[in-house]
Order: sequence, then structure tokens, then C-alpha cells
Amino acid sequence: MRINLVLELLDVPGQLVSVLEPIGNLGANLVTVIHKRDYKTDTGKVPVQLTLEGEFEDLKNVVERFEDLGITITEIDDVILKEKISTILFGHIIDQDLRDTMDRINALDGVLIVGCEIKLNGEDKSTALINIESDVGLKQVVFDRIAEIAEEKELLVINEV
Amino acid sequence: MDECKVIIMGFGAVGQGVANAISMKKDLIKDKTGVTVKIVAAADSSSSAISQDGLDEELLVKTKKEEGKLSAYPEFGSDKNGADVLDAVEYDCLIEATPTNIIDAEPAFSLTLKAFEQGKDVVTSNKGHLALKFKEVIDAAEKAGVQFRYEASVGGAMPIINLAKETISSCNIKSIKGILNGTTNYILSRMTAEGSDYEVILKESQELGIAETDPTQDVEGIDAACKTVILANSILGIDATYSDVKVTGISQISSQAIDLAKKDDYLIKLIAEVSPDNLQVSPRLVKRGSSYDVSGTLNMATIKTDLADEVSVIGLGAGSLETASAMLTDLISILKNKN
Repeated sequence: MRINLVLELLDVPGQLVSVLEPIGNLGANLVTVIHKRDYKTDTGKVPVQLTLEGEFEDLKNVVERFEDLGITITEIDDVILKEKISTILFGHIIDQDLRDTMDRINALDGVLIVGCEIKLNGEDKSTALINIESDVGLKQVVFDRIAEIAEEKELLVINEV
Repeated sequence: MDECKVIIMGFGAVGQGVANAISMKKDLIKDKTGVTVKIVAAADSSSSAISQDGLDEELLVKTKKEEGKLSAYPEFGSDKNGADVLDAVEYDCLIEATPTNIIDAEPAFSLTLKAFEQGKDVVTSNKGHLALKFKEVIDAAEKAGVQFRYEASVGGAMPIINLAKETISSCNIKSIKGILNGTTNYILSRMTAEGSDYEVILKESQELGIAETDPTQDVEGIDAACKTVILANSILGIDATYSDVKVTGISQISSQAIDLAKKDDYLIKLIAEVSPDNLQVSPRLVKRGSSYDVSGTLNMATIKTDLADEVSVIGLGAGSLETASAMLTDLISILKNKN
């Protein structure tokens, strides 16, 4: 059987090799690899598309090995495993302890803030665009957590539709 | 029936639009239904014009525009107003276009119930009684065995209620998300295009007559919330009222927020969400180029269904003839059902 994977790798030398090595070692065959270094994700990583061939067990071992190595798998056979969530917060974001806001979102399992851009407006309320990456199916959990923080800190939340 | 006598209650932009639309479409309605539509009374807030033999549509509009009140209508002008008009003349259908009142739903609520009691069909553009007492009004229509239609109350000319209930009747509707207020969409669109602040654009919108002198109903999301309630009840069968909707308006939206959204290819829109677990009006991020990306005073809605997946509509949410178009469509449906 064949599987298609999309991984995200750090843009540093040796990364691709470290991914390709376990494939042969675990008895799977590499059919194609597409590595576009000039395209970067929000996290500054490089997406790599792989097509592998082999027995079910071998392919399963490869995927598990990738996970052990801490490699981000964003898609398996076109099934998206990571969701990207953007949200805008408006209010006294800094005064209301931005660090705490971010920590509490990051504290959710499988959820990571990958970007945060803030526009300050003197002493007035400020605006923040927050980019979050989460495991699939956690969108509502993330929205609920943000809503809870926003209510407590009197922030206006502008979520995706 | 070969003649339908109508009373128009409320003779502002929408009421006048209905009179004009009837004048323009009388022949078409006759062709489609075999029925001649005749206005036997029209009433504004303080007076009316009443004639069992029918009134001239264009003269009604001219009188209201030039004299300010319908009692100045030649020969048939009257000081009767409100519910008394419904007793003054024989009629078949009430076209109710009085201003929306979300405090106590009057005068629409009483007028509508009275028409039902008299066994008359009603077409309305009003949101107040539907947002506050939907079930009560619908039950009264059913009890009286009359037809009651309200397409114009949501989205003006944009078809949504009839579309969801009749055109795609094979589908269960799971949710509706959309832009149901033209004024706020106009303000946000201009803020996005020009990078200007909310207050500046609001002031200009007021000067252009797009926003009202007191813009609260629009900018604080109250108008959109009323429409959310109407869609929830009529299309999703959710027994909800105005107070069940979580409402956040657009008055806090800064040009900075719009700028940040743009960076990620998003726009900010005031979105109404109608689903069994969420009744909400709030500013949301929508992807540029998505079906939510409509600008100016346009309204839009995406209906999520079980069989047809997503169906989206776009149209003008306000305007005199535009809103009248929806009311006339409702009237034609009533006439078709009767014959």
C-alpha cells in the first residue's frame, strides 16, 4: 500500500536526511519526495511531501518513528492533522497580562500559539492578531478557552467564521 | 378569487415601495395568478386614505411625498389611523410595513392579530413582533387559518426564508451564517478599503443616509439579532426570542484590527450565526474571496444543509422597491395558494 504524508521540517541542514533515513531502515520504500525550500509555513518551517510504499505495519512504524522524532505531520493521505486558527483580541491586552493569556492557550493539549502581532495605541486599548496551530478537532476547545479568558479580562474577541 | 383588496399599513419607504411595485406589477400579477390587486386603504402613523373602489397607487405616493400625510389624498383622505382602518373597509390581505419596534412590538403586533381575527392574510416587513413573539404570532395565524408571510423581514430583497422553506425543502437546514445588516457591512467595507476610523465612516454614512441619526439598532447588532431570531424560529425551528441571542456590535472595531486581519488575508464582518447551539451576532474574521466577502450595503447568507451542502445567497438588504419586491413575492404566493 501507499501513503502520502505532509511533514514540516526546520529549515536547517541535515533535517531532510534525518527524515529519509528511518524510511528504508523500517522496510518502507520512498516513492516521491517534494521539498520546496523557498516556501515557509507560519512557523518558519518547510513543508515536505512524501509518498511511501510498503506493508501496513512498516508504514505504521515509519509514522510512529516520525512522531518519536518530534517531526510535525500535518497531513496523512490528504487528511489534515493540524488546524490553523486566527483570532483577533481587542482591549487592554498587555495590562491584562499577555503572558498569562498566551500561557493559558498553550496549556491546552495539542495547541500552540505560533504567531502574535500587536498594535499598540498609546494608553488606549490595543489589538492583537494571534495565530494558533492545533490538532484536528480542537478548534472549539481553543475558541472556548479564548472566550473564557476574554470574558475575564474584558477583551473583545473576533473569531473566524 | 379574481380580485384581492389590500390595505397597506405604514407608508414610509417600504409602504411607498409596495404601492409603486403594485403599480408596476399589477399586470404581471394578473397574468401569474388571474387576480387583480387593488389598494383599498393605505395608512401612515396619523392618517389614511380609504376607498372601497380602490386608490391610485401613484397618487398615494405623490400625496405622501408632497403633503406629508395621507389624509390629504383627494376625496378619500381620512383621519382614521391604526387598527380603525382595518374596520373601515372590506379587504383580503394586510400589507404591514410599520416601523420595527423591539420594545413592545407595536403597532405591528396588534394590527397583525386583528387582521388574523378578521380572517385576513398578512404580509409583513416588520421584525419587532417576530423577534419578540414569534410563536404567538404564528400560532394565531394557524388558529385563524390564514396565511402569514414575512420574507421581507430578513435580508430585504435577498430571498432566504422562502428559499430555505420552499425551494430547498428536501434538505434539513443545519445552520445559517450571514451578513444580515447592510449599514454595518457598508461601514466595515469602507473602513477596510480606506483604512479610516469607525467614527469617521459612521459620520459619513449618516450624511449619506445609509446610517440613521441614531445608529444604535444597526451598529450594536440589534437589527441583525432580530433577524437571527426570525431565522432561528422559522427555518431551524428553534423556539428562541431576542434575549437568547449573544450580541456584539461593531462600534469597538478599530482600523488597527482591520489592518491586522488583512495581514492574514481576512476581512472583519458582522456575522449572524444561527444554529441549534449558537445564536450569535458578532464581528468575525472571514477569508477574503470567500462567500462572506461581499461589500457595500449587500447582505448575504450561507445555508448549511444535509443534502445540498452549502447554498449561498447575496442581495440588497434594504431599499424601498427592493424590500417591496419581497413583499410582493409573498403576496403572489398567497394568491397562488388560494386559487
